[in-house]
Amino acid sequence: MSTARNLTTAVLAGAVTAAVASFAVPASAAEMEKCYGVSLKGQNDCAAGAHSCAGTATIDYDGQSFKLVPAGTCTDMETPFGPGSLEPIQRPT
Amino acid sequence: MLRSLSDVQADFAAALRDPAIPPPAGVVGPDGGPAPRRFAVYRNNVLVALGNALAGAFPAVGRIVGEEFFRAMARNYVLETPPTSPVLLDYGVTFPDFIAGFEPAASLPYLPDVARLERAWREAYHAADAKPLGAADLAGIPPEDLPDAVFSLHPSLRIVPSRFPIITIWRMNVSDVPPSPVDFAVGEDALIVRPDAEVEVRVVPPGGVAFVDALAAGETLGSAAVIGEASDSRFDLSGNIAGLISAGAFVDFRRQPEPAPW
Repeated sequence: MSTARNLTTAVLAGAVTAAVASFAVPASAAEMEKCYGVSLKGQNDCAAGAHSCAGTATIDYDGQSFKLVPAGTCTDMETPFGPGSLEPIQRPT
Repeated sequence: MLRSLSDVQADFAAALRDPAIPPPAGVVGPDGGPAPRRFAVYRNNVLVALGNALAGAFPAVGRIVGEEFFRAMARNYVLETPPTSPVLLDYGVTFPDFIAGFEPAASLPYLPDVARLERAWREAYHAADAKPLGAADLAGIPPEDLPDAVFSLHPSLRIVPSRFPIITIWRMNVSDVPPSPVDFAVGEDALIVRPDAEVEVRVVPPGGVAFVDALAAGETLGSAAVIGEASDSRFDLSGNIAGLISAGAFVDFRRQPEPAPW
């Protein structure tokens, strides 16, 4: 009888499943989308002409600045000015 | 009487290592007489070249102790341990152990482990390439095969356990990050691997050293998990497996055949 039998197949399978599941989150830009109007100031990824680039947004929830978020989650994000947008928008107004 | 070539070479090598030994016969200047100063230049070149090889292989150690100290320490090592191969990549394999016994460095007890990390980094850098298994490959193993699954680990994978925070110390001394106070009470076991082009250095979670050592020794996943749990009560099997997948540590697996029942 080997020591392997001290751990059940179920325990090992559970551990491997949990380990594998931790990789199921989007890991690359290919699975991300640009989401406008959700980033806090200084935490944006880039912008549509309002300022130069990453980290330079000067206002919270700026509709001209985007943040990369997991694909499909942008328009579900709630902000004090409404949900995120896949296109640049005018806000806060 | 004509001496054998190996005798002549042994004399030459001995004189290189000990300035008190006169230059070997046959080392002569244009006047046909002995040329001790020319031989001294050659001796110095040998020491400097091998010292440079060590400085290149152990940059963090060099920065920690400073150039002057490192030169002196390297010189002692070179005189005691001349290369046994013309391949300088392999020179310095025993340098960490030498440092551990080098009295003037005794005030830096973490230094030998930092040197071991740097040696492992170099070995990983020059190790064979291999394509790591991804999470999906592991997800594809039938659950009933998992207890007896035997994994091949990446050829570049190395483990350097330490009771000192060697990764923090090493990183601070090979990057431009300004040095800051380090908590020496917190040990860090290092996993070094080169899944692709870049060598990665990661902290091994509790029990992970025993777990990875068991896998590397060809133990099944089931018994390696038992060994990991036995070595540290904080051992987290799932976290360890996830860490190894993300490090690119697994390159292949097979199911260990069930031993015959008789």
